[in-house]
Amino acid sequence: MAMEILDPTVEPRKQPLTFVPRPDSLTGKRIGLVENTKYNSDKILAKIGEILKKEYGAAECTMWRKHNSSVPAHQEIIDEAKRGVDVVVAGIGD
Amino acid sequence: MTTQIESKRYPVEDLSHAIEFCYQQGWTDGLPVVPPTERAVQAMLEAAGLEPRQQVAFITNRQVAVTAEKIAINAVMAGCLPEYMPVVVAAIEGIADPKWGYHGPATSTGGAAVLMIVNGPMAARLKFNSGDNLFGPGWRSNATVGRAVRLVMRNVIGTLPGALDRGTVGHPGKYSYVIAENEVESPWAPLHVERGFTPEQSTVTVMSAEGPHQFYNQLSSTAKGVLTSLCEDMKHHGSTNGQPQYCVVLAGEHMRTIANDGWSKKEIQQFVYENTHNSVAHLKRTERLAGALTAADETTMRPLVPSPQDVLVVAAGGRAGAFSCYIPGWAGGKKSSQSITKLIQDRRV
Repeated sequence: MAMEILDPTVEPRKQPLTFVPRPDSLTGKRIGLVENTKYNSDKILAKIGEILKKEYGAAECTMWRKHNSSVPAHQEIIDEAKRGVDVVVAGIGD
Repeated sequence: MTTQIESKRYPVEDLSHAIEFCYQQGWTDGLPVVPPTERAVQAMLEAAGLEPRQQVAFITNRQVAVTAEKIAINAVMAGCLPEYMPVVVAAIEGIADPKWGYHGPATSTGGAAVLMIVNGPMAARLKFNSGDNLFGPGWRSNATVGRAVRLVMRNVIGTLPGALDRGTVGHPGKYSYVIAENEVESPWAPLHVERGFTPEQSTVTVMSAEGPHQFYNQLSSTAKGVLTSLCEDMKHHGSTNGQPQYCVVLAGEHMRTIANDGWSKKEIQQFVYENTHNSVAHLKRTERLAGALTAADETTMRPLVPSPQDVLVVAAGGRAGAFSCYIPGWAGGKKSSQSITKLIQDRRV
């Protein structure tokens, strides 16, 4: 017998996502590093920061630590990053 | 109902085509589902007293609103009876709570499932199993309520295995992982009463959890003896690094032995907390902590969980057999995922 069934899924909410313009150069730029709390993520980010200073002329680095690896960066990090850095490096250190 | 169901409709030839159609769309957990017809979905909504478009939860990380309508559709597919719907709704409210922290346990390679513990009068009324073969098959409410939650995670929140569910090994509890506490035979206050609800209220507690680890002690006739066996196993199991909570499920024989010594749940929690510390030296020797071994490491102790209250004690399981189990929480650290207890509400006017 013919029947009709209902869709159990949803379409994700669409929202515009735009990137801020990328800097042409890192020379003199202040770098923010967001550490996700996993083993060695601080070490690899520190190393990346060193490379950005030594090889790309970045001025300084500031590192922040998230509350834990599963949550977005908390507001304090966002606020400080807005005020004090030009570029942010984040990722999953695992 | 004042509002209509708005989900997209698909015409299908007959029942068997409907089941295959659900497979083709990627809507199942691998087992056949009950095709969700409007009539069945309406019955589910009416049993919970919910309007189709009513938002039950919002999952921030996914920017997904979970509506009553979508929960009802997935509950039908899981094989739930309409009267189970309020339990499914409470569980979804639980995993959407920021303290449960949906993104971590749902996505992590750690492979956690949603352990659900049902308490209060509704557990018996809906025939949730709290006895023999506790985590095993055979009870419709245990099997379908957990399955409904997993189907909502999959179909509504997008927690697809291999995509946004990256459990390395996962475990069978991801199909369904629901138990009730044996409040009739338990000598202790039920979990929900410990957590501030009244005995007359019904609740579901959700905890992000590994599979159950069974332990055995048929020799001891004391609380201390049984729990010593438990602690020895617990503190050396595979994930002793950063579990926010554990659940200890004490079955009939162990429950009676411990109760005969007059121990309360608080005393059990305290004993388990105190006797599951590991030395830093041990954790380093077994490659669970990094760094060179120092003399101080031998006497520096690390607890398994932050506090005794982070050991949830539940009385459940068969009456016969000297077996109980412990369930490690998802290993994401203290702030990553906390177990949440939600009231099962009857919203019918």
